[in-house]
Amino acid sequence: MSAATVEQHTERGLPEQGFLSRATAWICTVGGVVGMLAAVMLIVEKINLLANRGYVPSCSINPILSCGSVMSTPQAEAFGIPNPLIGIAGFAVVTMIGVVLLAGVRLPGWFWLGLQAGATFGVVFVHWLIYQSLYIIGALCPYCMLVWAVAIPIFLYVTLRTLRQHGGALPRSVRRAAAAAASYHSLVLTAWYVIISLAILNRFWDYWITLI
Amino acid sequence: MCAGGLITLFHAADEDGKMTRNTRLTLALIAVVVLVVGGLLTVNRPDQPPVATTDAGAIEPTVLAREDSHRLSTAADGKVTLVEFLDFECESCAAAYPAVKQILATYQDRITFVVRYFPIPSHPNAELAARTAQAAANQGRFSDMYIQLFENQTSWGHKEQAQTEVFLGHARTLGLDMSRFQRDLDDPATAARIGKDKADGAAAGVQGTPTFFLNGRQLTDLRGQDDLVAAIDDALAR
Repeated sequence: MSAATVEQHTERGLPEQGFLSRATAWICTVGGVVGMLAAVMLIVEKINLLANRGYVPSCSINPILSCGSVMSTPQAEAFGIPNPLIGIAGFAVVTMIGVVLLAGVRLPGWFWLGLQAGATFGVVFVHWLIYQSLYIIGALCPYCMLVWAVAIPIFLYVTLRTLRQHGGALPRSVRRAAAAAASYHSLVLTAWYVIISLAILNRFWDYWITLI
Repeated sequence: MCAGGLITLFHAADEDGKMTRNTRLTLALIAVVVLVVGGLLTVNRPDQPPVATTDAGAIEPTVLAREDSHRLSTAADGKVTLVEFLDFECESCAAAYPAVKQILATYQDRITFVVRYFPIPSHPNAELAARTAQAAANQGRFSDMYIQLFENQTSWGHKEQAQTEVFLGHARTLGLDMSRFQRDLDDPATAARIGKDKADGAAAGVQGTPTFFLNGRQLTDLRGQDDLVAAIDDALAR
């Protein structure tokens, strides 16, 4: 019996291993569907806006919560095409991977690294968009925020799983930090959401206090 | 398997039914944030500005349209008055602009159309744009500057840097007296004039832009030009 098989046996023996994989499968499925629906809504509103310049998108509620203003910025076409097109394609793939994982299919390592690359691109892009939305454009677009809200857990859980999977190749300190993050997964996710929520609250404080 | 998967996903309790440390810390973090933010929102609660209403429940006409408010058209019979609180940098206002332009062309002197400033603080150049319009108004060219600002909004909107040069360019295009324009742009009286409009808007219950009032009643659920036209036709027919 080789060392590799022994390690695999012990890893499989840990309850978190199974948990993390299943959590990742569910997050990809649910997050992928939510992200895809949000991207579809954004494209529909974009088409309506193009067809009729006076159209007020369903998600333009007031000057702060407004897709109309966010959708018409250059940032909404960061790569020369409307961002939601990337979202529709990307989230469809993520959903499919989630469903495949739920079906119990074991995917090869290179496939996971591909998902990791996509999830990393997504989360970096989303944080650039968050920054642009808050500090440059100065408005929030509800459907876009839905995309932010799913891109983060997809990245987090895929990454925690990747770190667990490739733990052997990592320095001991990184491995320990990754293990701690994995056992406090929802705390990490909540803290991440809290930081962004506080930035939003702080940025538009003058507006929020008028609501109560 | 799927139901089991969902339960494991949340992984909220161990075999003994006790909450895991992760779950407890997560809930504690949420509780702390809710309490702190809730507390700050309560402490910072602004005094609600009194909404200036008439007995009939409409907004006082004198609050919506002051003597010095800018009118793009004036009805001979004074029967129908449409007031728009706007922000020159707001996209929805620019989206409403072609509709307003067409309505002005259609109805001409059958309605009074009043423009009020309501620059939103999160738009970096909204206040400056309002002062630009007011400085032009001081030379009798409000409506021309209003057109300039909206038609070119994409070239100056949503930029962090002050767009003073762009606005000076508009003033030059209109052939304004530039030294007077620049003096007025920086005059505290100009800022105060915009502040007065904002205060009236707040008193009338304006929270965002564009907000339209037709004969003192705020128009809500406007989905486009057709809704606005229908509301005006209805008011004219009464």
